[in-house]
Amino acid sequence: MKREEFLVRSGLQVETLEVWLEQRWLLPAAGDVESGYSEIDIARAHFIRDLQGNLGVNDPGIDVILHLVDQLHGMRRAFAELKQSQAKPGDE
Amino acid sequence: MANPYDVLGVSPSASDGDIRNAYRRLVKKLHPDLNPGDKAAEDKFKEVAGAYDLLGDADKRRRFDAGEIDETGTERPQQRYYRDYASGPGHAYADDGAFADYMDGDDVFAELLRRSQQARANRRGQDLRYRLAITFVESIAGANKRLTLPDGGTLDVTIPPGLIDGQVLRLRGKGAPGSGTGSAGDALIEVEVLPDPRFERDGDDISIELPISLTEAVRGGRVRAPTPTGEVTLTVPNGANTGTRLRLKGKGAPRRDGGHGDEYVKLKIVLPRVPDPDLEAFVERWEAGKSFNPREDR
Repeated sequence: MKREEFLVRSGLQVETLEVWLEQRWLLPAAGDVESGYSEIDIARAHFIRDLQGNLGVNDPGIDVILHLVDQLHGMRRAFAELKQSQAKPGDE
Repeated sequence: MANPYDVLGVSPSASDGDIRNAYRRLVKKLHPDLNPGDKAAEDKFKEVAGAYDLLGDADKRRRFDAGEIDETGTERPQQRYYRDYASGPGHAYADDGAFADYMDGDDVFAELLRRSQQARANRRGQDLRYRLAITFVESIAGANKRLTLPDGGTLDVTIPPGLIDGQVLRLRGKGAPGSGTGSAGDALIEVEVLPDPRFERDGDDISIELPISLTEAVRGGRVRAPTPTGEVTLTVPNGANTGTRLRLKGKGAPRRDGGHGDEYVKLKIVLPRVPDPDLEAFVERWEAGKSFNPREDR
């Protein structure tokens, strides 16, 4: 989706988006006018808003949390792939 | 839904500050994105959020305490969390750092991890979609266009002759770069053909309307007519009429078999803008003109 639609759906202000992009908290696909932003960026933006809002996390804390959460998801994906390869040992 | 005070674990006499603190404590524990593998966390989180919607708002809390509203009616719309996407393949936030050390071993586990990481590392780049507007003439004759990309780069696009509105051109390898040994994605360019007031396209054929003078209609003559590849001279037969269709062979759109469609020229007689006294005098004494009724065979 385009930047405008992303702003509407994520509820972010342009200025906030600029800051988050600078912090590299959001990484939309570069150079793509039609589909630079996707659902994962919206979900991640909501997560960051929750962290900043109700969870009262400051900016350096958000860096740490995002880094750890992304590693956790990397782990989960690796586990899922391992599980799959165990389930179908013959398939390659 | 349970009693909101029980959900937040506070007594009905708790202060606003106590309620807010209890809520924050629970959110930290239950936020679905901080519990990626716990399916129940989302339901608990929603329950807590619903309870806080009610008790965190002084007016709603007063009305709830007074029995004016119940604990329902604060249902939140379905939200997709980051965790719903983040464990999926191929996104910019993926991070394998947490198990990088496990991949160094020579056991089966390390081998499996390495193989799946390699598959991800050598992924083909994304296809990128663009739009390009071209003129009608360019769509028939073909053209070379340069597309300016949002990041400031450019992309040279060869428009093949005969392209139709909405057609998508694929430029292999001009999309996002792949990672590792993965090939680059493709650029997909949807071409919009801007309408031209002179031409209309019907399949491989093109039609135009060409104004001619009364003199040219009656006596015939040679007139210039536009085609997508430039003007040509056309012979108007004498006795031509409004609606007479002439064919310019091979002046239409290119066909797949290498041939071309035709251009059809529909003539339209146009009288001088300012009425001409000689013409008026002639028509006045033109008997055959008076008895001719162009509507009678309708």
